[in-house]
Formats: sequence, structure tokens, C-alpha cells
Amino acid sequence: MSYLVLVQNGIAQGLIIGLAALSITLVFGIARFPNAAAGDMLTFGGYAGLFAFSATHSLLATGLAAIAATALLSLLMYYAVFRRLAGRSAVSLLVASIGVAFMIRAVLGVSFGHGQLVYEIELTRPYIVGGVRVSPLDLKLALIAFVTLAAAFGVLYMTSIGRQMRAVADNSDLARVSGIRPQRVMASLWLLAGALTAIAGVMLGMKTIVAPEIGWEILLPAFAAAIFGGIGSPIGAVAAGLILGVAQELSTPLVGFTYKIAVSFAVMCAVLVFRPRGLFGKAEAVR
Amino acid sequence: MDAYLAAIVSVMLIYVLLALGLTLQYGLTGLINFGMVGFFAIGAYTSALLALHGVPVVLSVAAAAVVAGISAWPIGLASLRLRDDYFAIVTLGFAEIVRLTLTSEKWLTNGVQGLSRIPPIYEGTGTAAAFVIVAILLAVTVAAIFLIHRVAHSPFGRIIAAIRDNEEAVQAIGKDPARFKIQVLVVGSALAGIAGALYAHYVTYIVPEQFVALATFYVWMAVIMGGVGRVSGAVVGTAILMFFLEGSRFLGDFLPWISSVQMASIRIGVVGLALVLFTIYRPQGLMGDFTKR
Repeated sequence: MSYLVLVQNGIAQGLIIGLAALSITLVFGIARFPNAAAGDMLTFGGYAGLFAFSATHSLLATGLAAIAATALLSLLMYYAVFRRLAGRSAVSLLVASIGVAFMIRAVLGVSFGHGQLVYEIELTRPYIVGGVRVSPLDLKLALIAFVTLAAAFGVLYMTSIGRQMRAVADNSDLARVSGIRPQRVMASLWLLAGALTAIAGVMLGMKTIVAPEIGWEILLPAFAAAIFGGIGSPIGAVAAGLILGVAQELSTPLVGFTYKIAVSFAVMCAVLVFRPRGLFGKAEAVR
Repeated sequence: MDAYLAAIVSVMLIYVLLALGLTLQYGLTGLINFGMVGFFAIGAYTSALLALHGVPVVLSVAAAAVVAGISAWPIGLASLRLRDDYFAIVTLGFAEIVRLTLTSEKWLTNGVQGLSRIPPIYEGTGTAAAFVIVAILLAVTVAAIFLIHRVAHSPFGRIIAAIRDNEEAVQAIGKDPARFKIQVLVVGSALAGIAGALYAHYVTYIVPEQFVALATFYVWMAVIMGGVGRVSGAVVGTAILMFFLEGSRFLGDFLPWISSVQMASIRIGVVGLALVLFTIYRPQGLMGDFTKR
């Protein structure tokens, strides 16, 4: 009974981790570096959504505003920083992404302070399903997450630009000689990566609070999920995010609330030792 | 004024030790250690706890080096055989877990209240004692510089430089790069452990909040600005870092309309901006002619 509640929280947490991990794994697979700014992009999305929500009180408008703002930020990051580092080692891009992450956090901290903000959501009566209380908000958030994921997979697997992205991820040289324009692929990649983190940020903000550090704290589980799922594997990132989210929640009666993140870390280390390519990754990508 | 100067130089020397550890790991070998502060924290708490239980400071600092070095070993085993960026993620996570543990395990670390009344490096008060402490820190730093210099110019140093520049080539001549990387990781982390121990005995009061990820990137900023892979770069970069950290504090007093919380945000932003600008425009750092990345 109480375990069902934990599983339910775990799924909500897992969807947030999965969305962030999907953003990370796409960038890792296509631009070929671990984007440490993903966490702070998520925070940015949380703030953007918060202001849209207090203006409109509509979930749809909140989601769209957060997506628009964060995708723009993401595109700006690409043009201002990551495009200039194209062709340099993954280390340079990784260090730069940490720098970008700090800059985003600094701007948010200076503009809105370090206090905790909350989405002012009206409390609604929960549904009782099989003895478990399910709040309508959780259902709506889950629905938003599924719609976002469906849209992302639709873009990746059913459109031309998605095919081009996957081609670049597979073999960027081969993609270029087949006439795929890398600039367009990269711009689309960063828009998509930004949109995914935006929704994760709105969900996290609605479930908990909005503060400049919330994204940084979700970064480690998101990296863990991207590695667990297999770098470059979209379905793996989402599946691993859900598994880690549920595992973290189920572990709380055993190890306590503070060590939740340690569960993700332990899983990540175990995956790196025993199956570095993760659930769905390719073996050659990890060496 | 003398006391203030001594304080700045002391903190700077501790940062130089960290920067030297990172120079060994990243500059000379190419290891992306994003968890420097984790090993620093392990050193600080190990030495502080031992000294609080009556162990002489010299021994507790040595123990801090050993514990920090040993704690790095499994991290290396788990991740150094894979891509470089995996190691970065694992070390970043490791440092967060260390901080969580320091916060949660109250029976050992006293949680968020931290450890106080840690025995100082040198008993005594006033300016004279402050200068003795500076002299001790300076001696340790010079020893570390000598060590790194010797390592860089030894056969071992040539192999780790080769790993940094072309890992496949090192494998092709029959050496196992992972073994060398793990050794470098352990030695560099032991150095960070010593730095942490000296820090604990210098400030005599430590709490988990002092060991956030930002501290790691202060060291990265110093190394990247000074010049990657050069001992002089580590020293110059740390000097710039100290100037920036102290300067931002003075600026906070000078510009009263900026709150201290905002100043903390601005400091984070400047670190971020420095990391971005140096990576894009001057990857070799101020001192460096090091092979461009």
C-alpha cells in the first residue's frame, strides 16, 4: 500500500529524470559531449513556466511558454558557445557546458533571488484508484510528459530532420558526405534538447519548488539514466529514468531521504563496471 | 594588515596545492576530475577527526593523504577504462555523494553543524604564529611543486603525457593506459587530501557547505586561466583566483546595493564566464604554449 505510493512518486520523479536524460543522451549522441548545463536549463524552464502559470493559470500555456523560452536559451547556447567549439575535444565542450550552467544559475539567482518559489496550484480532491490516492495534477503532469515524449520520438523517428539527426549520431562524416547540413541538424537538436528540459523543469517545479539549485540536483540522476539507458539511445534514457526514479523512491524506507541520489550514483557505477554500454547502447560508443 | 596578508597567502597556498593536483591529473595526464572537492573534503574530515581524537597533526595530515588516495582508487577502477567524459561524470557524482554523507552521518561528522575547535597547524596567536603557518604551508607547496616537476620529467611523466596526447599509441607500444591513469588519480587525490587536511587545521572549523561543487570549479578556473599542464600556470592562475575572490568581497562592501546573496550569484556567473571565454579564446591559458586543444 505505502509501496504503491512510493512507486507512484517514483514514476513522477522518473518521468522528470527521463526527460532530462533524453535531452542529455541526444546531445551526447549527436554533439558528442555530456551537457552539464542540462540541469540549469531545466531550472530555467521551471522559472519560465512559473511566470507563465501565475499569469495564465493554464497548464498548456505554461508548458508552451517554458518550451519556447528554454528552446531559445538552448539555441543561444549553441550559437554563442558550442558552435565555436565544434571540432574541439569533448573535454572543451564539457568544461564550457559547466561554465554555461553556472552563468544560467547566476542570472536566475541575481534576477529572482535564492528564495524558494512555488507554483500556486489550487488543491483538488484526489481520485481513489484501488485504494491509492492519485491527484489530478499528477495525472495531468504525467499526460504532459507522455505527450512531450511522444512528440520528441515523433520528431526523431517520423520526420526528415529526425532521420538526419540519427544519421549524424550514427556517423557524422558519412552524414555530411550524404548531403546532410550539420548546422540545421545541430540547431534542431538544441531546440529539441531545450524543449525536453523545459517540460522536466515545469514538472519538477510543480511537484516541488522552484529555486536556482533544483536543476543541478537532478543532473546526477539524469546523467546516470543516460548512461544506464545507453548513450545515444532515446528509449533507453526514458526507460532508465523511470527505473531510477522508482528505485530512488523505493529505497527511501531503507536508506533515508538524503541518500536517494546515491542510489542513482551506485547504479551508474555498477553499469559502468559491468555493462558500460547500458541497456540499449552500442559497445563502440563507450571506449 | 600583516595578518590579512598572511591569511590570503595561506588560503592561496592551499588552493595552489589543489591546482597542482589538478595539473598532474588534467594538465599532464588529461583526466577530467570534476570531483576535486570530494577528495579535499575527505582529507579535511579525516585529518580533523583524527586530530580531535588526539592524533598529532603531522600524522593526521599524512593519514588524510592516504585515505583520500585510497578513496580515489575504486573511482578509477570503475571509470578510467572508459571514455574520458564518463570519468568526469563519475567524479562529479562522487563529490556530491561525499557531501551528502558528511551532511547525513551525524554520529561521525556532526552533520551540518560541522566540526569545530580543530587543532591548528601551529599553536600560538598573533602575527608571528600566522607567519609560521605560512612558512609551513609554503614548505608543503614547494615540496609538491618539486614532486610534480620531477614526475613531469621522469619516464613516468613521458608516458602520462603520451596518454594525454594519444592514448591509442600508448596502447600500441604495449602499455596499459588505465594503470597509469589510476596511479595519477590516486597521487593527485592524495595531494587534494593533504590540501583539505591543511585547510581544516588552518580554519579550525569545517562544515559540509564548504565543500560544494563550486570549489572544484574554482580550481578548474585557476588551472585553465593559468595555463593547462604547467606548474607556473597553476600558481599564476591561483593568484588570479584569489584576487577575484577577495576582490569580489571588497566590491560587495563597496557597492551596498548589491546584497551578499546576489554577490554569491555574481561570483558563480564570473566563474562560468571565465570557463567559457578561456575555453573558446585561450585554451592554452595565460602562461601556456601547451599544445592547443
